[in-house]
Amino acid sequence: MWQMVGRRETGRLPPHKFRALLQKTRLYSIELAGHKEIASAHKSGVNSLQIDATEARYLLSGAADGSVAVYDIEQATAYDHSTRTSKHEALFMVDKRVLNGHLYSVSCVHWYPIDTGIFVTGSFDNFVNVWDTNTTQVELQFNMSKKVYSLSMSTLATTHMLIATGTDDTRIRLCDIASGAFTHTLSGHRDSVWVVQWSTRSEWVLVSGGCDGAIRFWDIRRAGCYQILDQQCSQIGRRPPVLKKSSRTHGREDNLCTKYLNASSPIRQRGQKRSFGISAVDSRTAHYGSVAGLQMTADGLHMISAGTDSRLRLWDVESGCNTLVNYPSTYIRGNKGIQMAVTPDSSLVFTPSLNAILVYDVWSGHSYSSLRGHYDQVNCCAFHPQGQELYTGSNDRKILVWAPRRPIDIDNFDYEDAEQAIKADEDAWSD
Amino acid sequence: MSIWNYVVTAHKPTNVTHSCVGNFTGAQELNLIIAKCTRIEIHLLTPQGLQPMLDVPIYGRISTLELFKPQGEAQDFLFILTERYKFCVLQWDAEAGELVTRAMGDVSDRIGRPTDNGQIGIIDPDCRLIGLHLYDGLFKVIPIDSKGQLKEAFNIRLEELQVLDIKFLYGCSKPTIAVLFQDNRDARHVKTYEVLLKEKDFADGPWVQNNLDNGAGLLIPVPLPLGGVIIIGEQTIVYYNGFVFKAISIQPAITRAYGRVDADGSRYLLSDLTGMLHLLVITHEKDRVTGLKVERLGETSAASTISYLDNAVVYVGSSYGDSQLIKLNLQPDSKGSYVEVLESFVNLGPIVDFCVVDLERQGQGQVVTCSGAFKDGTLRIVRNGIGINEQASAELPGIKGMWSLRASSKDVYDTFLVVTFISETRILAINAEDELEETEIEGFDSDAQTLFCQNVLHDQLIQVTASSLRLVDAISRRQLNEWRAPPGLSINVAAASSSQVLLATGGGHLVYIEIGQRELIEVKHVKLEYEISCLDINPVGEDPDRSYLAVVGMWTDITARIFSLPNLELLTKHSLGGEIIPRSVLFCTFEGIPYLLCALGDGHLFNFILDVNTGQLSDRKKVSLGTQPITLRTFRSKNATHVFAASDRPTVIYSSNRKLLYSNVNLKEVNYMCPFNSASFPDSLAIGKEGELTIGTIDDIQKLHIRTVPLNEHARRIAHQEATRTFAICSAKYIPTVEDMETHFVRLLDDQTFENIASFQLDAYENGCSIISCSFTDDNNVYYCVGTGYAIPEESEPNKGRILVFLVEDGKLQLVAEKETKGAVYNLNAFNGKLLAAINHKIHLYKWTLRDDGTRELQSECGHHGHILALFVQSRGDFIVMGDLMKSISLLIYKPEEGAIEECARDYNANWMSAVEILDDDIYLGAENSFNLFTVRKNSDAATDEERSKLEVVGEYHLGEFVNRFRHGSLVMRLPDSETSQIPTVIFGTVNGVIGVIASLPQEQYMFLHKLQQNLVKVIKGVGGLSHEQWRSFSNERKTVDAKNFLDGDLIESFLDLSRSRMEEISTAMSVPVEELCKRVEELTRLH
Repeated sequence: MWQMVGRRETGRLPPHKFRALLQKTRLYSIELAGHKEIASAHKSGVNSLQIDATEARYLLSGAADGSVAVYDIEQATAYDHSTRTSKHEALFMVDKRVLNGHLYSVSCVHWYPIDTGIFVTGSFDNFVNVWDTNTTQVELQFNMSKKVYSLSMSTLATTHMLIATGTDDTRIRLCDIASGAFTHTLSGHRDSVWVVQWSTRSEWVLVSGGCDGAIRFWDIRRAGCYQILDQQCSQIGRRPPVLKKSSRTHGREDNLCTKYLNASSPIRQRGQKRSFGISAVDSRTAHYGSVAGLQMTADGLHMISAGTDSRLRLWDVESGCNTLVNYPSTYIRGNKGIQMAVTPDSSLVFTPSLNAILVYDVWSGHSYSSLRGHYDQVNCCAFHPQGQELYTGSNDRKILVWAPRRPIDIDNFDYEDAEQAIKADEDAWSD
Repeated sequence: MSIWNYVVTAHKPTNVTHSCVGNFTGAQELNLIIAKCTRIEIHLLTPQGLQPMLDVPIYGRISTLELFKPQGEAQDFLFILTERYKFCVLQWDAEAGELVTRAMGDVSDRIGRPTDNGQIGIIDPDCRLIGLHLYDGLFKVIPIDSKGQLKEAFNIRLEELQVLDIKFLYGCSKPTIAVLFQDNRDARHVKTYEVLLKEKDFADGPWVQNNLDNGAGLLIPVPLPLGGVIIIGEQTIVYYNGFVFKAISIQPAITRAYGRVDADGSRYLLSDLTGMLHLLVITHEKDRVTGLKVERLGETSAASTISYLDNAVVYVGSSYGDSQLIKLNLQPDSKGSYVEVLESFVNLGPIVDFCVVDLERQGQGQVVTCSGAFKDGTLRIVRNGIGINEQASAELPGIKGMWSLRASSKDVYDTFLVVTFISETRILAINAEDELEETEIEGFDSDAQTLFCQNVLHDQLIQVTASSLRLVDAISRRQLNEWRAPPGLSINVAAASSSQVLLATGGGHLVYIEIGQRELIEVKHVKLEYEISCLDINPVGEDPDRSYLAVVGMWTDITARIFSLPNLELLTKHSLGGEIIPRSVLFCTFEGIPYLLCALGDGHLFNFILDVNTGQLSDRKKVSLGTQPITLRTFRSKNATHVFAASDRPTVIYSSNRKLLYSNVNLKEVNYMCPFNSASFPDSLAIGKEGELTIGTIDDIQKLHIRTVPLNEHARRIAHQEATRTFAICSAKYIPTVEDMETHFVRLLDDQTFENIASFQLDAYENGCSIISCSFTDDNNVYYCVGTGYAIPEESEPNKGRILVFLVEDGKLQLVAEKETKGAVYNLNAFNGKLLAAINHKIHLYKWTLRDDGTRELQSECGHHGHILALFVQSRGDFIVMGDLMKSISLLIYKPEEGAIEECARDYNANWMSAVEILDDDIYLGAENSFNLFTVRKNSDAATDEERSKLEVVGEYHLGEFVNRFRHGSLVMRLPDSETSQIPTVIFGTVNGVIGVIASLPQEQYMFLHKLQQNLVKVIKGVGGLSHEQWRSFSNERKTVDAKNFLDGDLIESFLDLSRSRMEEISTAMSVPVEELCKRVEELTRLH
């Protein structure tokens, strides 16, 4: 650490790299935070968590009892001096007692990307609610007529305010907050859609994963989906041969494991689709079971998917290739989606797996650790980029905070005494 | 201090990051172009050496500097890419002598992860495209069409994640890149791709080379006829072109820079981190490569860039030491080195620490920096203004004037020093014992005050007194002739050239006399309407002995009049305005341009450009040099003429880049000055102060004066102790033979000689992390306290350290007390007679207690924890301002009654800090990791607890420099009556060797300057069309916002360099007169 500071001082280590290296080292030491505690306001399992994108200060949580709560994760509501833990109680909690509040389990929560004045929740009671944070009232409701599994708003969007929803229906519907109406219906999945996520690269691109095992890419400016990921397609980095220039374009279409529908010329491509036969392309799967989780990296070049086949897969988004990175020993089962989290530098992915959260290196699949602390199945994770903290919600109703390891303080006032105490302790054990 | 801050550079960046050679300014001219992070310098290669042509700031930190020559162009174009994703292509306009922007643009992507290994910018050797690697996973292409125009950029997906280097290969029909990358298993490979411009994609390239040296970090493309690429590793060097593979092993070294020697690419210069220069030779038979050879040439500064110029002359640009111009000799010298250093260019970077001291106790701060790294570590003493090194002095009250005379016109040196008093004239000469001794010149009138004397033609001397003008033979020293003033009138002022004398007597009479052999001829006599206050006939034309112009300053109408000689016809009359009479006028030539300088009785100075033929004056400028009357005198130093303005604030006026510059002399008050170049005191000046005559030499004429103390080890921390007149430094000595092994010392240096008086060696792995000089309650001694940390290689965080308390006794470092800590002591502060230490993530307060046996020890009193890493701590009263590694600034307070430290407020932004300073009770300054500055304010009057617990961000600014340290202090002498002396300043030092000043301005002045800055931005366009507003906007990973409450002093002060017409443009826009603007900006230049 001192050496790194020294190397930054002399300019040998560029400051941005210093930052990246340090963040990485700190991440690898992530563990249950002893200094921070979220007092969960929920009476049943926590299904969804999100930290707001504007200030990275407010944590939104949704639970199976239909309650939604907001916590301030910067400023503690109480501080326990003896254990040196700061306690964060919910700023407010809304449930079915509120007018139009959710009756059944809240499956997904989402902050409005521009500010924290609005948040959106989806529930098994078929409704998507748009809340005003300040009045804690439902401002707008969308009746999806099926259980809502997932919803997403684009953090990039400047021209639209659409909530994409994945429900027990095969169709994905986009709800417009501005007008209160459905603007799009995207059909293609052949089973319920457990996860939807907007691309982190383009405000028009939506990704969805369904129980049919398919991951579909949609460009909402065009009809139909333009890409279906195929787990068998793994020729990443394969480039057309150098000399055979004439056969190049042709070769690409032959090698259509990825793009069966080129976004730039949809009409021509649709003709081709017919010639290939719809079923061949349409039946491609990304996982053998349901797709339970999707998480794009911050730069939008890669995506990690989780399936109920207990597999995590890393996809190269542009080519649509499965990179075949092996993430060992995950266990993912269930009847709803999970929320994974990827660090902003795309180095680590956090995946809920039974009672633990597994930490993998994104690129090598190396398993760094398994974060254990919950007493029941973990449903969701949210990563705090600046504080480098991970928040996880589980069926045990708890929200736990995981943070880089802090040096242990033995004492504050009297080193010697503490040391002696430890020595005495050691002596006692060695006997 | 206030929230309105003015940031200005006192010392420009000197860290050379890039350089290139090409025909930039003309098809036949060879140029060396150097990038110093935020500046570029263009030099011309001449047989005499490097000739500077241009030095301009760039609104960005340069990450790529490349020359390229599109087809059909005679001259090279310059491509510059900045770290904030702006690029520009510059071309030289030879007629206007300035840079022209051919193209510019922004290559940032909205989404993308910036590459860890830095930006890469390369240009295809056949100029078909520019390739950029800015974000992980993407390769950006800017196509260049056949006419040399840039086309719209596009991205190509590059699957390789950890890219280390990319280069274009030579001689490929399609543009082809070689990519050096590291895979997930940390193995390194090189892969090639063809860039398909039409398809906007890559195609697999001709070859792949897997599993290279694990330290491979640099690719060198080899030009035709050989082609292929050289891959430089830490232990091997490999050549590969798809068919031929050659490898050699080398001594382990980390190569950072290379330079191509021959156009055919058969020889390269390589420089490693230790500064060892090697020659790499590709042996070949015609086009077939047969092998590689490496030869050791010798040692230079550790290079960051190497440019081979011509005729075995090489420019070595360095980030850690002085940049050098070297010559490679064919034969080794006695030490076996082929390297001969022709010239060194001072580099202050990286400034890791510094302190501000007043060594000469004159009220002027000097900065002593810990500069350089590794073997190039030095201390640099940086001082504003020009120093006089006193060589002799004598008590001599009441001096009224001084002149030096040569014994004969053939003499090289001056012999006599004529010193005049109110009613006598004394002549001093150097005797055989090198002492000044009084002597006599028989022909001189020694019982009267001398008004003027000088050596003139025909080996004669003249002396002017109130009553007469005497002509004296220089050899016999007898009077030859005399011209007497008309009865009733006395001579008031006089001036002479070698053959002419101009006198003014009372009543406004002006008399022109020519000097012949043994005779004085009164040529012309005119009577003016007012009294004459001053005059000058210093020759400015081609003839050094004869002047054709005379200038006369007048009482009553306050004018400067120019007369022709010999007929004394009035050519120009220039009214100076105001009520203060001119007290000294002077003709002089700087860099071939004739000027008229005219000094007033209130310390103001006018300068004009003079037309030698017509006597017309133009380009009037007014500056204030002091408050007392000024006497102007010319002198020569290092073959250039300068003007000494003697007053209460002595100043040297000189010219650089055709601009007059004013540099103050480090003397309190000077009444008279004359050059005195004697055999025993060569190139000296005689200076008459109040009651004293001093003879001394003058420093090089430049604004900042830098003295270097080489240490040959890396100084990391420095502190000064007034009581013992010593410096103490924490330094690290690298032993190059053992890898990464360093020994750390605490060294004591004398503050005058900088000699190492004593050293204290620290334990193995123990690093000196902080040092201060302080004293404790109930103890009169002043101690040096040193905080250390044990940096064990396997541990990420030091978990052991010490605080060592030293007493300087008889020039020795006496260890008085030591206290073990549970981590590295990153920072120490004297805190109300106690010691405040920042140890890893905690802050600890120690008190100095007396043990029963009379010895002293540090005892922990209280602490504060909960930080990530408490790197920077400053204190003021009971307040502690702490800069965290990654959690911005927190304000803590020590509560003595409770014996506890508590947090009062913090800034909730996640800024990664690099330095903090307290500006005043409420405002704190911070520098952060992405080269930004910001200020925060304590809201003690806020209504709610929440607001009180928040430090409000009040100022934000992008400095573009990585600040390592802030210190209160000033580089300039503070005159009590000057306006600028009321402005508090903070000095900062950066990695690039910049010394800057942050001044807190009153609101009114800030508003005024802010308006000026806004107008200047419209007039002064950034090089390459880069936007000033964008450059100065606060920007880090999370946000980009416009600069606020900070002013760019460099931009504002460039107002003074503008042409008159553009000044007027701004003056009209601001509706403030030009004079007023100049005055206010000039006042600011006094801050540094």
